[in-house]
Amino acid sequence: MSAMTKVKSIAVALFAGSFLAVSPAIADDEAEQFIQAVLDEAEPYLTSEEEQIQFDGIKQLVDKYVDMRRVGLFTLGQYARQMTPEQKETYLPLFKDYATQIYQNSLSNYAGERLTVTGSIDRSERDIIVNSKIVNPQPGSQLADMVVHWRVYRDRDGNLGVVDAGADNIWLAIEQRSQFTSVIANNGGPPAGINALIDQLKKQTSE
Amino acid sequence: MKKLIWTITGLFALSTGAAQAQISDAGGADAFAEDLKNANAQVDAGAVYDPWEGFNRKMFSVNNAIDKAVLVPAAKGYRAVTHKKQRKGLRNLLANARTPVILINDILQGEFKRAGQTAGRFAINTTIGFGGMGDPAERIGVPQHAEDFGQTLAVWGVNSGPYLYLPLFGPSSVRGGFGAVGDIAMDPLTWIRTDAAALTRYSRAGSTALALREPLIEPLADIEANSLDYYASLRSFYWQSRTREIANGRTNFDDLPDIGDFEEFDELE
Repeated sequence: MSAMTKVKSIAVALFAGSFLAVSPAIADDEAEQFIQAVLDEAEPYLTSEEEQIQFDGIKQLVDKYVDMRRVGLFTLGQYARQMTPEQKETYLPLFKDYATQIYQNSLSNYAGERLTVTGSIDRSERDIIVNSKIVNPQPGSQLADMVVHWRVYRDRDGNLGVVDAGADNIWLAIEQRSQFTSVIANNGGPPAGINALIDQLKKQTSE
Repeated sequence: MKKLIWTITGLFALSTGAAQAQISDAGGADAFAEDLKNANAQVDAGAVYDPWEGFNRKMFSVNNAIDKAVLVPAAKGYRAVTHKKQRKGLRNLLANARTPVILINDILQGEFKRAGQTAGRFAINTTIGFGGMGDPAERIGVPQHAEDFGQTLAVWGVNSGPYLYLPLFGPSSVRGGFGAVGDIAMDPLTWIRTDAAALTRYSRAGSTALALREPLIEPLADIEANSLDYYASLRSFYWQSRTREIANGRTNFDDLPDIGDFEEFDELE
C-alpha cells in the first residue's frame, strides 16, 4: 500500500467513523433472542418430511408471533386511514389468511434447513432488523448465502412482534403494499377500491 | 455496430415516447420532464414511482403473452432435454462471456477490488474452466457478481427516473434503459462486424433468455398464483432487488418505509 492510499484510507475511515458517531445503529439483544426462540421453535416443523406438518406449524407460529394487525394496516399505505370501520373489520381477518399463506409458501422453501440469528440492526428503538442464515446448508443450495431478515417491532408496552420478513433485502410486506395500493387505486380509490381489494382477497384465500 | 445501437436507441426512444404519449392530457414534453423531476423527489420509501403505469401495463401484458406462448414452453423443453449439470455449464459459459462488460462497469464504478476479481475469474474460468463451462474460480473463493451500465449510472449519481417496462427487455427504469444501450456498446461482440459475430450475438441472446428463464419457471408461476396484482407484485420485487444490486449487496435498512406509524390505531383498541 503506497503512502498516499494509506492516507486516503485513514481519511475514509475517519469520515465513516464520524457518521457512526452521529447515528449509532446498535444491535438489540432482546430482539435477537426473540427471533432465535421463534427459529428454534420452527425447526421441528421445517425439518419435518411431511408438508402438512410444515404448513400447520408455520401457521401456528405466524398466529403467535406476527403482529398481523400492524402489518395489515401498513400494507394499505395511505389508504389505511380512509377505511370505514366495517371495511376494516372485513379486511383484517382476510389479510391475516392471505399473509399466512404467503408465509407458508415462502418458508416452506427452507424445508429441511435450520436458521440461526447472525445479528441485528436497529432502525429505531422500536423498529429492529434481525438477520439470520442457514446453518450448514445442503451443498450447492441456492439458499446457502442468503440472508433472511426479520423485522421486529416493539410496541408501547415493550412487547415484541414480527412485522415483516425478507430475504436479501426483498421484503414481503413492502411487496404486498405495492399490490394492495395498486388494486385500490386502479379500482377507483376508496371506498370502492377498498371493496375491490377485499373481494380479491376473499377470492385468493378461498382457493 | 452503429446500426444495431441506433436500432436499440430507437426502440428505447420509441417506448419512452409512447410512455410519454400516455400522459398527453397533461401536455407532452413538459409533463415528461415533470415526471422525471417527481421521480427524484420521491420520498415514500419502498414505493415505486410509476407515472406511466398505463403504458407499462400494456407492455407487461404483451411480454407476458410472449412469455407464456414462447419462452416458458421453450424453457420447459430445454429443461427436458438437458441435465442439471449441463444447464449449469451453459449458465457459466454465458456468464463468462459477459465478463468483459462486467469488468468495464466495475472499473467505471471505481470498484477496483471487484474489477480484479472479475478479471481473475475470466482468466481462471476461460482456461482451467474449459472456456467458461466450469466455475473453478467460485470454488477457490472468487464468487461471481453482476454489474451493468445502469448500475454504473446509478453509482455516478444519475437518478433512476420512473419505472419503465420495456418490450422484450422487461422491467427497468429510464436509467436502466440507457444502461442497456451502454452495455451493448461495451460488449466486444458488438464491435466485430461479421455475419459470424452477428449470428453468435443472436444465438447468445436466445440462449441467455432460456438459461435465465428456466430456473424461474416455478418461482414466477408461484408469484403469479399468489398475487392479486401480478404487475404490481413483480414491479415491487424488481425494484427492491435492483436497489440492492446497485448497492452491490450492501444493506441499508434506513431506506425502508416506516412500519410503526399506526400508533394512533393502537389507541382505538
